[in-house]
Amino acid sequence: MKATQGTTYRMLGSRLNDLNLQLEELRKIGASGKKLNRPSDNPAAIRPVLNTRKQLSNVDRYMETMGQALDKMQAADGHLEHVENIMQRVKEISVNVVNGSLNNEDRSVLADEIVNLRQELLDAANARVDGKYIFAGYEESTKPFAENPAYDPALYDPNDHTTWPYLYHGDENATRLEITPGENLQVALTGNDLFFGTTTWNQNPPPNNSVEPGRYDVFAVLTRAEEAIRSNDQTALQTSIQDIDGAADQTRRLRSQMGNRASRVETAMHHQEQVRIDLKQILSRYEDADAIEAFNNIVQQETAFQAALNVTSKVSKLSILDYM
Amino acid sequence: MSGLLTALNAGKTSLMTNQKSIEIVGNNIANVNTEGYSRQRAELMQIPAVNFGDFFVGQGVTVSDVSREYDVFINRQLQEKSITLGEESGKSTPLSELERIFNVSDDNLAGSINDFFDAWQQLTTNPSGQVERDMVLQRGRLMGDAFADTYNELETVRNNINNNIVSKIGNLNEQISEIAKLNDRIFQIEINGQSANAARDQRDLIVEDLSKSLGIQSYTDNRGMLAVQLPGGTPLVQGNQAMPLSVVTNGTDVNLQITIGGNVKDITTQELGGEMKGMFDVRDDFIAGLRGDLDTLAVEITKAVNDVHSNGWYTDPATGNPATGQLFFDDLTALPPGTPPSRHVRVALADGRYVAAAGGNTAAPGDNENALAIASLETTYRVSGTNDTFDSFFSQIVSSVGIEASRNKMALGGAKDASVQLHNLRDGFAGVSLEEEMVDLVQYQRGFESSAKFLSTVDEMMNSLLQLKR
Repeated sequence: MKATQGTTYRMLGSRLNDLNLQLEELRKIGASGKKLNRPSDNPAAIRPVLNTRKQLSNVDRYMETMGQALDKMQAADGHLEHVENIMQRVKEISVNVVNGSLNNEDRSVLADEIVNLRQELLDAANARVDGKYIFAGYEESTKPFAENPAYDPALYDPNDHTTWPYLYHGDENATRLEITPGENLQVALTGNDLFFGTTTWNQNPPPNNSVEPGRYDVFAVLTRAEEAIRSNDQTALQTSIQDIDGAADQTRRLRSQMGNRASRVETAMHHQEQVRIDLKQILSRYEDADAIEAFNNIVQQETAFQAALNVTSKVSKLSILDYM
Repeated sequence: MSGLLTALNAGKTSLMTNQKSIEIVGNNIANVNTEGYSRQRAELMQIPAVNFGDFFVGQGVTVSDVSREYDVFINRQLQEKSITLGEESGKSTPLSELERIFNVSDDNLAGSINDFFDAWQQLTTNPSGQVERDMVLQRGRLMGDAFADTYNELETVRNNINNNIVSKIGNLNEQISEIAKLNDRIFQIEINGQSANAARDQRDLIVEDLSKSLGIQSYTDNRGMLAVQLPGGTPLVQGNQAMPLSVVTNGTDVNLQITIGGNVKDITTQELGGEMKGMFDVRDDFIAGLRGDLDTLAVEITKAVNDVHSNGWYTDPATGNPATGQLFFDDLTALPPGTPPSRHVRVALADGRYVAAAGGNTAAPGDNENALAIASLETTYRVSGTNDTFDSFFSQIVSSVGIEASRNKMALGGAKDASVQLHNLRDGFAGVSLEEEMVDLVQYQRGFESSAKFLSTVDEMMNSLLQLKR
């Protein structure tokens, strides 16, 4: 065994080449700040990285969806507050009529006010956000509520919607949005639930729709109150006042349900913010290089490379020819 | 006087021998950087002694042979290692190309799939919005483009491998016929009792090269001729006969053939070794596998979306009535054979109005149930036969590329190291060391000088003899 010029330079050459390649790799990590640049850098990390990226983009989407859901719910809430005020005023008027000794003219003025309030209620029920009716279920481009031209007070039957003072053209489906993986949250109220006191709505009768027991058709309650005031029917008026209370409760209950859902969305948004931070951390652990470690490694490698270069230049200085 | 003349003759042989030795040293030094050169050595031998009365007196020295330093064991090792080195380096270029195609950056196929389902998720918040509907279509088309791009890039890699194979054949044939010629030459030289050092060195070098590119096996026959064959046993060189390789195009792929005695025979991948085997393996196993996975993903994703989409409802723009049964993507489940699904991921809808976002048969504008169902496919759908969602199925593909590439990197590094070490071992045994040659040079120079001194001494002695009578 002997050391020849060939072996020495081959060894030095391959060593220099190796060191330089490693140095380039380290510099790439240092410059990009990423330790996962190619699939072969860490094949085991690919699945978590791609999966985490997907989850991150999903979180962004959920945040946006929830933002829109909140907007919708806030807009609906504004209109519901208005409905509550209307109910309040209707009750005041009715109580006024029962307690006070009013003449026919006064009653007529108050009855007209109820008609106006009913009109306001209709406007609130036909409220639009972004050009869409918010209380129409899926039929968001159809005006949901309209007066029933065939309405006859004598024929009113809570179990037959064709006799009701107002008609509903929307449907029973409340919009649901996916706010977290697998969780679809109802973000809207349907007109039939809110104003007609029924959770289902059959658009193509028969069978006819009916008000559920213990619930109220708000429009009918207002219409009946108006009729009772006009006819000065004290018994009917007493029933009406109870119905108005019940209807106001129904509105408040649904409004608070939606408020609960809104706060659920807010909590979920907060949670998703946390999830986003966690996911970014996970992603960073797989992808990002530790800056200090990277630069340490570069310095270390550079030193090794310098040493190798030094040795290489020394080798060429040492020759038997200088001694002969 | 006859004694002196004999001495003169012995001096002459010494001068010539040392001169010859210096010539060989000079040749060694000249070839210090020649690849595959084995150091040569003069074999010195004294000329048979002659009987002088009671003594045997030597008649000087002669160079009996110029031999080369050579170790069969190391050379065999080198040949074996070259096969591994060749196989891994044949894989390395296409693999790094594949790593570029299946990268880990944001803009790979997984990103397009995410974007597509993200668009559906966005549509759920505004199912009647034309912008959102167009977005779904747009993202669907972009995903189709991403599939087609990936497929085409795979094809490019395959074509590059094919071109590479074709370009190598000329050189391989030259080397094969060179071995046959060298076989003949070595036989002609060595039949006269000489050693064909240069020719043998050259032949070893070519064999090493061929091991790397074809993974050949070789053995020497009783005439000193090297028989070369493919790992599967198909002969390439027999005595001084070379069998030429040729390429044949099968469809879009190229394959190798060999002509033996006028008969053309196909060479299968199993019969190959070295670089060629590496390239064929990547092309026929690895890339084909990737393409199969990509096709599976394309079929599964379009089928899953179509199944849900065709159950949804939309308002037919032509009639204004609710309609259903519309496919979102072109159906890929029943393509004619030979049509790659991943190249035909195309949106079947004419425009956004045909997107079936509604789940109810009224196709109400606010109905987002079907959009929700399609959006949820991203997390709930499992690619058949696996437990993977679309993106984890894709990440599996990327991982397999990563694993193969990193295995190749390690193996290539190892094979390179081993090759450097074996070359060093070979040079340590048979290479030219300048120090050794310099010392030899001094040695032979001194030998030459002393022979010259000896001759001048004999000359002086003869002179003295001649001056006895004036």
